[in-house]
Amino acid sequence: MAHILTFCAANGAEIPRHPLELLAAARALSAQWGGGQVHTLCLGPSAGSYGEELIHRGADEVLTVECPSVEGEVALAAVESAVQHLSPPVVLLPHDDLGGAYVGPSLAYRLGAGIATDCVGFDVRGEEVRWLRPVYGGKAMAYLRVRGPVQLATMRSRAFDPLPADPTRRGEVREFPMDWERVRPQIRIVERLEEKREEELPLDRAEIIVSGGRGMGSTEGFAVLRELAQVLGAAVGGSRPAADLGWVPHSHLVGQTGKIVAPNLYIAVGISGAAQHITGAGSSRTIVAINKDPDAPIFKLAHIGVVEEWEKVIPALIEACKELRSSSPG
Amino acid sequence: MHIIVCIKQIIDPEVPFHLFRIDPVAKRQVQGTHPLVISTYDEVAVEVALQLKEKVGGRVTVLTLGRKEAIQALHQALAMGADDAVLLSDLSFEETDSFGKARVLAAAIRKIGAFDMVLCGRQAGDVEFGLVGPFLAGELGIPCVPLAANFEPVDSTLRIRRPVETGYEILEAPLPILATITNDTSNVPRYASVRGLRAAMRIPVPTWSAADLGISPSDLAEPVRIEIDELFIPQREMRCEIIGGESGAEKARNLVARLKALGLIG
Ligand SMILES: Cc1cc2nc3c(=O)[nH]c(=O)nc-3n(C[C@H](O)[C@H](O)[C@H](O)COP(=O)(O)OP(=O)(O)OC[C@H]3O[C@@H](n4cnc5c(N)ncnc54)[C@H](O)[C@@H]3O)c2cc1C
Ligand SMILES: Nc1ncnc2c1ncn2[C@@H]1O[C@H](COP(=O)(O)O)[C@@H](O)[C@H]1O
Repeated sequence: MAHILTFCAANGAEIPRHPLELLAAARALSAQWGGGQVHTLCLGPSAGSYGEELIHRGADEVLTVECPSVEGEVALAAVESAVQHLSPPVVLLPHDDLGGAYVGPSLAYRLGAGIATDCVGFDVRGEEVRWLRPVYGGKAMAYLRVRGPVQLATMRSRAFDPLPADPTRRGEVREFPMDWERVRPQIRIVERLEEKREEELPLDRAEIIVSGGRGMGSTEGFAVLRELAQVLGAAVGGSRPAADLGWVPHSHLVGQTGKIVAPNLYIAVGISGAAQHITGAGSSRTIVAINKDPDAPIFKLAHIGVVEEWEKVIPALIEACKELRSSSPG
Repeated sequence: MHIIVCIKQIIDPEVPFHLFRIDPVAKRQVQGTHPLVISTYDEVAVEVALQLKEKVGGRVTVLTLGRKEAIQALHQALAMGADDAVLLSDLSFEETDSFGKARVLAAAIRKIGAFDMVLCGRQAGDVEFGLVGPFLAGELGIPCVPLAANFEPVDSTLRIRRPVETGYEILEAPLPILATITNDTSNVPRYASVRGLRAAMRIPVPTWSAADLGISPSDLAEPVRIEIDELFIPQREMRCEIIGGESGAEKARNLVARLKALGLIG
């Protein structure tokens, strides 16, 4: 029987969505393999309290490690110990700042193991797994084969939907003993700087996202977009130039190297439609593009398009949405 | 301070979807008439290195592993302000996986000698594995700091600024370190001037082969631990519905009506 190890880091009160997605992916993989246990290594200040929910969401066993906060070197040491303990043929990690940028690649190096990063799926042929991931900014897809003592994969967020909680599922939750003496972090966090926030609504909770690109022209242009977002009850996102120019915080950057979002409605304004951007919004139900250039690539990727300068559309759009809101009941 | 920056030359990643072509047998993009550029985050890494050099003094060396034409990427980095460049070129380097590439880069860095910091991009702008940086840190036996945006010397240490969800984290680590670089408002790459480029062309750039680095090509060939098995372009049957109207305002009203009809707003 093949075991799969997944990873869950939780600093807050709730389990974030991504580790639950990993459980769904692990269950899907285990089903295609014809069975196998799913183990989850859970790290955080109150790791033990998540155990039951992780079982309900697909884990067979949860190994908990309590630590004050989940940082790279600590997470790496814990995952490495768990891998040594379980010898799983496959380890699934989140493709995020922790798993994708640090723990996954560093662990792969230490174990001499092949790794597939930023995966959105897999196919299984007999014993062998092929990992599906976007390449060239999402313009192409690749199936990767990885070899070594264990196969590591980091999974893109939103590639799998969490399984509904099944309270009848049973499994074991136990503390995983860590030899902290052996963990000697060399990188120290000396300060945390909170950024002033104009964006109230986080991207991953929003039904509607209004996103702006270089075509917004200025901070003032972006303010108009924020007004539209406000009347729509939408979150505000941006393309990479918009983030680099300081019009939106980097935490609201949408795309391959930013947030992967999947709202009902994604309205892209003054965004050309680079694959690297759209890949982050590609699972939105409906994508609306507003761009003055009829040949902008975004019109090949959006469902609905408006060819016009935003200056001529957005103010009227704000008015029309306000009217709609005041005329609709509730 | 001696800062080494690893840069990769790639086909312009901004090539739009409809002009993008692949060779499914060779399992890579076809260049066609598209230009070759420094990979996006590697250009950012050069900028970060130059900013640090401006603060503390020292030298910036750029390294690339690639074919002969990758020298253009090095010239561009030199024109931006880097001091030295080395091209690592050998047939055996091309087919090796991320483990092999890290080994080659590490051998070159050892041959160069003393250094304080190695910078890589967070991920290459083409296949985007994001592996060579952390692997190289492993090869060199130094800590890897992921997703750094810039560095600030404070007293005798170096503070590392890393953008996170809530703002920034300020880190400290003993040198030498390897950092993978991400983009931020503070590190938008400067342009290389024409004059800079002309001056850069006069800087001699050595080319090192596997033999120069004491690497045997057969060592790089096996084992292959990461391999593209199949490359394809996903089918996208997308028809964009263009909203008409005589004026911007009318288009806006028509759009709202359409979105309401679809049950997406209101
Ligand atoms: C490895 C890699 C990762 C990347 N990751 C990301 C990522 O995560 N997210 C991301 O966004 N990008 C990412 N990029 C960058 C990406 O390739 C594009 O460069 C970027 O998305 C372009 O942003 P943009 O559309 O805002 O700007 P541009 O491409 O400059 O487009 C501006 C658009 O605005 C339109 N416009 C101008 N004025 C107006 C007006 N008055 N009214 C209406 N429209 C107007 C123009 O017609 C144009 O289409 C990445 C690139 C690489 C190589
Ligand atoms: N051929 C190369 N030459 C020099 N540096 C490279 C090369 N390939 C990758 N790198 C470095 O490693 C980073 C990550 O690359 P990758 O693992 O391919 O996504 C890049 O941003 C570069 O800094």
